Amino acid sequence: MSERLDEAAVGRLAPGLGLALPRGPHRGRVGEVRAASTGSALELHDFRAYQPGDDLRQLDWNAVARTDELILRVRQDEVSPRVEVVLDGSRSMALSPRKAACARELALLACEVGARQGLSPTLLATGVRSERVQGSACRAALRALEFDAKDDLVTALGRMPPPRSCGLRVVVSDFLFEADLPAMVARLSRGAAGVFLVQVLDAEDLAPTGGEGARLVDSESGAALEELLTEEVLAAYARRFVEHQRVLRAAALRSRGALLTAPATETLNALVMGPLRPLFVAGGRA
Amino acid sequence: MSFGFPWGLLALGALVPLVAAYFLRRRQKPVVVSALFLWRTPRPRAEAGPRWERFTREASLLLEALAVIAAALYLSDVRLGEAARTKHLVLVVDGSLSMSARGPDGVTVLELARREAAKRVEDEAATRVTVLATGLSPRVVAGPEAEPSRALAALESFQSRGADHDPMPTLLWAQELAGAGKHVAFFTDAAPVEGLVIPAPVRWTALGTARENVAFVSAQRKDDGGTATVTLRVARFGAGPESVSVRLRALPGPDAKQGTERVEKVALQGEGSATVRLTFQNAGDVEVSLPDDALLEDGQARLTASPTRPLAVSLAQGLGPLERDALERFLAASPDVARDGAAGETLLMGPRGTDAKVTVGATGKVRTFVGPFFSEKGHPLLDDVQLAGVRWSAGENPPGHPLITAGDAVLVSEEDDGRLHLNVDLSRSNVQRVSAWPVLLGNVVRESRRAREGFVRRQLTLGEPLQLVTLPGKRYTLTGPSGGKPVFGAGAVSLPPPAMPGRYVLERDGADGVDAAEVLALDARESDLRGRGRADVPARESGDDEARANASDRARWPLVLLLLALVGDFYVTRRVS
Repeated sequence: MSERLDEAAVGRLAPGLGLALPRGPHRGRVGEVRAASTGSALELHDFRAYQPGDDLRQLDWNAVARTDELILRVRQDEVSPRVEVVLDGSRSMALSPRKAACARELALLACEVGARQGLSPTLLATGVRSERVQGSACRAALRALEFDAKDDLVTALGRMPPPRSCGLRVVVSDFLFEADLPAMVARLSRGAAGVFLVQVLDAEDLAPTGGEGARLVDSESGAALEELLTEEVLAAYARRFVEHQRVLRAAALRSRGALLTAPATETLNALVMGPLRPLFVAGGRA
Repeated sequence: MSFGFPWGLLALGALVPLVAAYFLRRRQKPVVVSALFLWRTPRPRAEAGPRWERFTREASLLLEALAVIAAALYLSDVRLGEAARTKHLVLVVDGSLSMSARGPDGVTVLELARREAAKRVEDEAATRVTVLATGLSPRVVAGPEAEPSRALAALESFQSRGADHDPMPTLLWAQELAGAGKHVAFFTDAAPVEGLVIPAPVRWTALGTARENVAFVSAQRKDDGGTATVTLRVARFGAGPESVSVRLRALPGPDAKQGTERVEKVALQGEGSATVRLTFQNAGDVEVSLPDDALLEDGQARLTASPTRPLAVSLAQGLGPLERDALERFLAASPDVARDGAAGETLLMGPRGTDAKVTVGATGKVRTFVGPFFSEKGHPLLDDVQLAGVRWSAGENPPGHPLITAGDAVLVSEEDDGRLHLNVDLSRSNVQRVSAWPVLLGNVVRESRRAREGFVRRQLTLGEPLQLVTLPGKRYTLTGPSGGKPVFGAGAVSLPPPAMPGRYVLERDGADGVDAAEVLALDARESDLRGRGRADVPARESGDDEARANASDRARWPLVLLLLALVGDFYVTRRVS
């Protein structure tokens, strides 16, 4: 378990993994994956009446002979879908070095696996200076990424241009902020065939330690709260956390996505084999 | 600002742990968390509202420090302004006449007492002074708790001319005014008598001097027509002169052109007294005096004219000839009785069945009694009334309380309103021919004269109570040298002895005086200056005059401040559910 971006671990894992693409139609450049649009693939999608302007090559002459009407074969297009990795660049992602490293590693792993899968990965980092990089530049961007945004992911997304259509969108964040979670998830899933919310959480996020008084300082806004971390207070935190997770998970499901919680304390391999198994499937190709 | 109990400031030490706790709490380790919203209880208040909570801890510290300071100020008995240093001194001055006696140097004892009082006030740096004067009725000369200058000024104008009295009630009162553990200074002219138990906090200071004295012990004047008879009694206390000249000066009366002045030489044998009696014709006020000696006041007297007021008596219509003759015969021989007087209350005598004050006659079946007669013992109307040998014929019993009875017959009765009924048939009785008749009627006239409005006696000496008669339904005021005061009560009223000699006028309903009485500055016990002397008896218990740590005198505002600070702290540190 490294506290820095462990590119070697990512390199070891990426060749044997593939991103779990959704079964629905995709959008993208011409490729091998069935697209949502009609195209020239061999697989028949539908029949319809000919309309002026249609490709005459797609006329089903047998049907024309039988029915004496111009029947057109509608074939589904085959595209190469894109994968878009959104990485939350707020300060809370660097709550601990391990949390920051884990977030970087997961984003890099998604990019690497996507690239190997031919999905032309795109990385969107929502720091103070939002970045949008593609391809091999993702690795360099992740190396140089600073978790320095003083606002949460929702606010940061508002500063960015509207999301483009893509096949798969992987959002790496801790999702620990007060917001309209269903609206946020709906926005993240807009234009994507599938969305995975990868929630990276530190050990203190999952189970904060107590026993004494403390000045709780918000990592992003700097606001402070005096609190005695008694058992009651910790129990109240746990209750609110569970409720927050429930709402987030329900929002993800409504948007045909999934919430995957990745404890930063675990190794990358353990995460891939464990809670992130729905995203990273073994075998190299979906 | 001063502190009555400075040790209370030690409570300020509570500020140290308070501030320490504040800073210790401030230095709690900061713990950076991903999000605060999971820790914070949702607040109904809008986030855009005033962030009062930001200052909660500082405000709480300030309020708690304020509460500690207020508590320390209360415990230390803080005093601001005039209350910063208050020391109360209670002085008691003997108000008896002997305090006006002069010493060999010509300075009165009262003057010495004034000087000593001023010295005490200055020595003890008193800020509040109460001056009391002893007397038959203790009184406040200055205060309570007057400024020293005002108190000493009041003492300067105070005159001690009271009768002989016991100072203990005044000393006990002064002890109460001074408070527990405080000293009381008493200035008099004689050392305490053997066996006298002086209150423990009283310092008894005697400033008198044993002197010889010649004084009037009584002075009376009786006016009978135009003749004024002055009776004086002169006494010598100590080894004084064998004889003394009494100077009498009669001012001219209404009918006289000039006054009269006489000097009578009175021989004083041993320590006895001598009596002088002189008469003046058409004299106004008579001034009598003795040569100046240690006590001037008891050698001077002014005897005002006090003519007897004749009692108006009238006989009502309807009286039988026998009754009228018997009454006329008595009235003709009775002194100071005016027939049919127009002014004042009239003693009306009439037949039975009328509303006269005195009724004479019998109705119904008449029975004659020769005895035994039963009289109410001690009744003033029956003084010296002897009924031996009397044949009394009486009719039906009259109403009222029986005074004289014979068998079941009521011979004389008195009603509640004072009406007297003589149940006698003079045609068959011999009452009017025996001595009981004029004696009985004389008593009736005497009681009627006593029941008249005004003073019972018009010349009094010091220490004698003022006895007077008032009419019901009227408002009276007694005006004397020390001012006027209302007189409560109707009928025979006995007022306490006046504190000062002088002329006392009884006024009715704010009008002119109804009657006047003269209180002469004569008191044999006060004139005897042989037992006077100097003494300084210290207080038997050591008082704590310096500390005025009386919980009831503590300033209340620190407690109010403490309460407000605690309530404010409770408010700013409350938790909103």
